[in-house]
Amino acid sequence: MEWLDNFWATYSTLLLSVGTNVLLALSIYLTLACGLLTVANAAFMAIGAYTAALLTLQTGTPFLLALILGALLPALVAMLIGRPTLRLSGVYLAMATLAFGEVVRILILNAEDLTGGALGLNGIAQLTTGFDVAFALIGALYVLLRFAGSRIGRAMAAIRQDEIATELMGLNVRAYKLFAFVLGAALAGLAGALNAHFTFFISPNEYGFERAVEILAMGVLGGTGSPWGAVLGGVVITLLPELLRGFGHYRPLINGVVLIVIIIYSPQGIWDLTRFIRRRHSGKPAVN
Amino acid sequence: MNLKLNILSAILGISFLYGNAVAADIKIGIAAALTGNAAQYGLPIRQGLELAAAEINVRGGVNGNRLELIIEDEQGKKEEGINVFKKLIFQNKVMMLFGPTLSNSAQASDPVAQTAKVVVFGTSNTADGITSIGDYVFRNSVTERDILPITLKIAAQNTGLKKVAVIYGNDDIFTKSGYDNFKKALRDLKIPVATTETFAKGDVSFKPQLTNIRASNPDAVVLSALVAEGAPIMVQARQLGITLPFIGGNGMNSPRVFELAKGNSDNLWVGSPWSVESPAPENKRFIAAYLKAHGTMPDQFAAQAYDAMYIAAQALKTIKLTGKLETDRKALRDALPATQWNGATGPFKFRRIVGRNGKPAGYDAVQTAIVMVTQANRYVIKN
Repeated sequence: MEWLDNFWATYSTLLLSVGTNVLLALSIYLTLACGLLTVANAAFMAIGAYTAALLTLQTGTPFLLALILGALLPALVAMLIGRPTLRLSGVYLAMATLAFGEVVRILILNAEDLTGGALGLNGIAQLTTGFDVAFALIGALYVLLRFAGSRIGRAMAAIRQDEIATELMGLNVRAYKLFAFVLGAALAGLAGALNAHFTFFISPNEYGFERAVEILAMGVLGGTGSPWGAVLGGVVITLLPELLRGFGHYRPLINGVVLIVIIIYSPQGIWDLTRFIRRRHSGKPAVN
Repeated sequence: MNLKLNILSAILGISFLYGNAVAADIKIGIAAALTGNAAQYGLPIRQGLELAAAEINVRGGVNGNRLELIIEDEQGKKEEGINVFKKLIFQNKVMMLFGPTLSNSAQASDPVAQTAKVVVFGTSNTADGITSIGDYVFRNSVTERDILPITLKIAAQNTGLKKVAVIYGNDDIFTKSGYDNFKKALRDLKIPVATTETFAKGDVSFKPQLTNIRASNPDAVVLSALVAEGAPIMVQARQLGITLPFIGGNGMNSPRVFELAKGNSDNLWVGSPWSVESPAPENKRFIAAYLKAHGTMPDQFAAQAYDAMYIAAQALKTIKLTGKLETDRKALRDALPATQWNGATGPFKFRRIVGRNGKPAGYDAVQTAIVMVTQANRYVIKN
């Protein structure tokens, strides 16, 4: 038991980071599954983190309520900006959402009285427990896995394959896209709220372009064929640098090489590799 | 028979004595940014700490105990900072910690050390509020709150400035906190501000701001920037014909300004806890040893890290190690505040500060800043 206590004391933050990063990967999975390339999730994470942290810091709101509002506010913002921006597609959508991310970051930077500006918010209470993260994760996974075989999941897959054909079949493409975008924003906000409450400190610069790309990398690396792909992507991207700690100076180099090798040999993501196993078990060809 | 026994007991006795004299190594954890953007600060810090520890060990260690350094890379990221701190505290079971490199990381990881009751010693965290985290948090990095008023005062005495223009980076914790301290110091010294301009990290053209500054007709320009933006600001100001003195914060206190603002680096006033030109014998010795060990000239980060290791060793010398980690960590924490040292950065002692809740918290540095002005690619000490 002492070993377990020591393990938890050493690696609790790492395990909690794995949890919140998997939530972020699931949030980008939702839009990628519709064939939408959005990079606003870091901004939604920031909105969730700042909302929840300000609530617990300044108004003493119960943690659970702060988490719920930390997920709801980004969803609301996503609903507002989703309507105009989701008319765009491909690289134009990516650029619009990227610009939105910068707007959020600069707003937080300049709303000094509320957010502390560049100095960030510090002294955030450590309220996130392993159970909170596990509960959020299991809940999100359950819902997304239920989607996969349902009308919503099939509609999303159809939109990704061929948007025009899907529309001709009488499906409300725009509504499905907005749904995925808003739900993704809520998940990213929840991840931000949870993350803020175990790292003591948040500042606007950690939700910039770098974070947006990292989230996208988790989604793409894992694969967009299944929520399990996002889970794998989140776990690998978070744990890999820590597992490579023994390499010292060469750590970032080897980390990059591993990611490149994975993408070269499995362009559809890590989850795609498991299709051989899945095929053998189910006895029929796996649907991509 | 008797003789044999005697010899045996003598051997046993010697080995027993010897075993006591060697004792255990004292493990010291170092979390520094060794890769990523902050590595330019993290590497000299690591080298400064290593140099001091090697010197101490060559001279027989601390009361016969060798210092063993366990160095981890925290990449200048807050989550990495927390992970590294936890690993060093709970897995390597270190006596105390040095680091992390950036103030941002310190805000996130120092609470971990405070909760675990392990001394954390910052050598480069200058932002406000780090030591208010708790009574296990120490730093020997002099904050801008202490340095900037002296810099301004000396610059004002020498140049006779009456009013200034201010320009600062508003998206960086370091330059923003520098601006806040400049603002306070200017108010205290009753120096009026003609105009205040801002820029963001990565900007390349500063001419609109500089044109405004020229129009406001100040006697000097107060600049809170990192060298990457600060040096181009100086170059572009000279191009616009602004020959006024610049008064820089800690971010501008780097010899890189001589390369990056080549030919336009003169007349920049900075305050620093350390100067390469400082004639103190401790400093001369440090510079020579550092040059020999690492082949490069030290900077202020290396100097502060070097002194920090000696300050910690000085405190370790006064305590009796029991081998029980919790007791020894507490004893070190209790011994540190009274420690004084005269090293590369000059005479040093700690000062207790008041935390956010109004209770006494951690410890900041008490040290006289050296105010310098740049002249033909050199620093000239002015106080």
